[in-house]
Amino acid sequence: MPLLCVENLCIGYHTKKGLLKAVEGVSFSLEAGSSLGLVGESGCGKTTIGMALMGLLPPNGAISEGRILLDGVDLAQLSEEELRQVRWRDVAMIFQAAMNALNPVQRVSWQMTEAISTHRPELSKDELLRQVEGLFQLVGLPLARLHDFPHQYSGGMKQRAIIAMALALNPKLIIADEPTTALDVVVQDQILKETKALQEQFNMGIIFISHDISIVAEVCHHIGVMYAGQLVESGSTDQVFYAPRHPYTQALVNSFPTLTGEKKKLTPIPGEPPNLIGTIPGCRFCDRCPRSEAFCKLEPPQWQEVEAGHRVLCDHC
Amino acid sequence: MRKFILKRLVQVVVILFLILTILFVLFRLAPGDPVSRLVDPNLTPEEADHLIEQMGLKEPIWTQYLMYLKNIGSGEFGYSFHYGEPVAKIIWQRLPNTLMLFTTAVILAALVGISWGKLAAWKKGKLTDNLLTIASLVTHTLFLPWLALLLVWVFAYHLGWCPITGMITDEVWLDPACGFFTKFIDVVHHMVLPLATLFLIHFGSYLLVMRSSMLETLKEDYILLARAKGLSERAIRNQHAAPNAWLPVVTSVGLSLAFSINGGALTETVFSWPGIGRELVMAVSQNDYPLAQASFLLVAAVVLLSNLVVDVLYAYLDPRIRY
Amino acid sequence: MSKMLKASPQLARRHPWQERLAEDWRVFRGNLLGRIGMGLLILFGLMAVCSYIPPMVNAMYHPMTGVDPLVLKATPPSLRHWLGTDFMGRDIFSQLLAGARVAFMVGVSAAFMAVVLGTAFGMTAGYMGGFTETVLMRLADMIMVMPTLLIILMLAALFGKLNIWTIVLMIALFRWPSVSRVIRAQTLSLKQRPFIDAARVAGASHTRIIFRHIMPNVLPLAFLYMTFRVTAAIVIEAGLAFLGFGDPGTVSWGMMLQWVWKTGHMFTAPYWLLPPGICISLITLSFYMLGRAMDEVLDPRLREEGQRE
Repeated sequence: MPLLCVENLCIGYHTKKGLLKAVEGVSFSLEAGSSLGLVGESGCGKTTIGMALMGLLPPNGAISEGRILLDGVDLAQLSEEELRQVRWRDVAMIFQAAMNALNPVQRVSWQMTEAISTHRPELSKDELLRQVEGLFQLVGLPLARLHDFPHQYSGGMKQRAIIAMALALNPKLIIADEPTTALDVVVQDQILKETKALQEQFNMGIIFISHDISIVAEVCHHIGVMYAGQLVESGSTDQVFYAPRHPYTQALVNSFPTLTGEKKKLTPIPGEPPNLIGTIPGCRFCDRCPRSEAFCKLEPPQWQEVEAGHRVLCDHC
Repeated sequence: MRKFILKRLVQVVVILFLILTILFVLFRLAPGDPVSRLVDPNLTPEEADHLIEQMGLKEPIWTQYLMYLKNIGSGEFGYSFHYGEPVAKIIWQRLPNTLMLFTTAVILAALVGISWGKLAAWKKGKLTDNLLTIASLVTHTLFLPWLALLLVWVFAYHLGWCPITGMITDEVWLDPACGFFTKFIDVVHHMVLPLATLFLIHFGSYLLVMRSSMLETLKEDYILLARAKGLSERAIRNQHAAPNAWLPVVTSVGLSLAFSINGGALTETVFSWPGIGRELVMAVSQNDYPLAQASFLLVAAVVLLSNLVVDVLYAYLDPRIRY
Repeated sequence: MSKMLKASPQLARRHPWQERLAEDWRVFRGNLLGRIGMGLLILFGLMAVCSYIPPMVNAMYHPMTGVDPLVLKATPPSLRHWLGTDFMGRDIFSQLLAGARVAFMVGVSAAFMAVVLGTAFGMTAGYMGGFTETVLMRLADMIMVMPTLLIILMLAALFGKLNIWTIVLMIALFRWPSVSRVIRAQTLSLKQRPFIDAARVAGASHTRIIFRHIMPNVLPLAFLYMTFRVTAAIVIEAGLAFLGFGDPGTVSWGMMLQWVWKTGHMFTAPYWLLPPGICISLITLSFYMLGRAMDEVLDPRLREEGQRE
């Protein structure tokens, strides 16, 4: 049985202008020890899915349909109290270092022991400290900086601390939300490699959320491309990145420059994503799709299985 | 940190120095004869001469200035016209009374403001929040002397729960049989209404600042992470949000100190609380210039030092400044 | 829409400005606090305007000099005197109305002057930078921490009884620093903008840049802060009057409280004690509410979600 099974997930935000359907009918699954990259532009719903997996949707957001099965337990049905137990112990999150994710007035060591002691109150202070030291060594942070405050850390160090904190309880699933954005490329590369190594070491499932398909392609086994709240293409990295079928995925892949190969003009994707308030009958990508036809706008597209494990949400791909 | 405190202390000294100089200039610029302003017209000629010599009033202006500074430095503030006693003695007697009332009021208002502000942010939009916000707005905008009079009217005059004015009951303090505890209770009894006045006027602004600060803090990313870690709402509120939220409140206390001191002087006057503020007001209305000048200096020093304390407290609470 | 713009440049220039004003008005109106504040202020304004009426009706209603020959002491409210009389037999209601007039006069003038000073200093400091900026800002810091009431008290000691306009001037002199900080910050951010560089390249002198380019952008903020200065001024004047250092020729609410207190009527004449205090507190509250509503207009982040798209 897969570690994570998301079935027909629909999430909406209640705004003054109406219900904004941020995620519509998304389904995917993830095996333990493998990684999935969710890619898409801002507002496509990938972060919303990440939040929903942690049960951290804002007050005006709600899962309207679907199930999130983590080891057979439907997270969407759990109460707040039950979710609190699941959080961090089974599912942990890695935030962007650029965010203010670490509390500026508390020491890093305190914040990390807090993560552990919340779920394992029986541990003594010494034991907690020992575990945190172990985590620091795991991610390559110097022990001398254990009791510092977050503002004393560099960007890369903060990211490592956040990763260490996520690993504290040895969770089954980790959600990494743009963990390398705003880091310089050298550090970015290091962090990506280390994350991959850690994943293999602990056999965790990782969902890697990013807008950068090239990063995701480097680290993940599988890729899911999202657009306007829907999953439009999914499959293994080889399939999706090197043989994309959906016009959006193709455009994404083409819009990133490569170091090698011949020089070519970068092709941006014209237009804007649709307004997600209200229902959209047909394909959501029509307005920007180079291959759209009349019926695309009227009928919702169906999933096509292009190869084994590679599917596309498009009627003529 | 030490460097920071030292730097601020130096600033305080410099400003006090400037104030001293400005006072010196003003006293000699103002219309009328400076001598009559600094020497009690009721003194005998010998005493007057002695004083004139001590303050160097017949000397050229630069010498006067230096002697002025020397006098102040050695605690020689001249003689009060009204009391006929050394000014230094009077103001040293009054200072503890003011500090007692003022610091208690500010600390109490800050503590209550912070904890209720936290509560109001927590129950945002609900009845508790609305009541607290309205109460803060209303009490904060009340005219202080008027509130003081109202409180006296209701609680002292009508209900007789508290004495109308003063800090002590003479009988209690003159009676040798009354021990320290009785005297202490007596002072506290007299302090209730003035303390209540100052407290009511000030807690509102601290509450409102804490409330909006909490609401801002709760939107921060580290709060999201705390929630993701599975922490209880109470833990998030008290250990993550509040320690960040109360920083702007500390700044707010600092900024409103001048306002508080004004209020302190008004309160002391209405309640005849024997403090520096009241002494200043009375000295001014009785043209007791030496006393007025010294009281003002002391008030300025209190304001500056309080600001210093607030700044140091802020630096202590915010590790980004300390480290 | 674009056709319209091309056809009449006049219209094009007015549109965005008018749009913004209409939008601002909508936000302001939607704010409950702003509405209450506005309402109260209109009430006080009416009081101030009506303050001229009672003496015209009958000389005995003059707040300062009008004495009712039939009543030469403090009396409770009656048909003849709606709020009663003070210890000399003067009508309290007309005193209250006169107080409203004084409050507005003192409040608005002192605030206006403080804003003018604060804007001038703030703009200069922000624009000039360097030594000028440091000196001005240090000065502002120093003045800001000083208790204004007590300073004016000291000056009263030295220079004798104070005239109401002297009081207004002194309040302004000690209240400008808070305005200047905000204006300086705004100027600093404006200084970075390209249009300032463009003006400089075009040869505009510093003065011209300050007055033609920076000032118009800084003024709305300055006037917002004026509302807060008004309450400070009114309260300081009231405090001074209460302590007996106000202008003896003007009837302000603080002065009324002084009379009630000093003549020992504070416990026996609630009709005299309560109205002035309520008025001071209410006018402070209403300016505060107004200021908060205007804050919301000027700072979109403070608006409730959904009020703006």
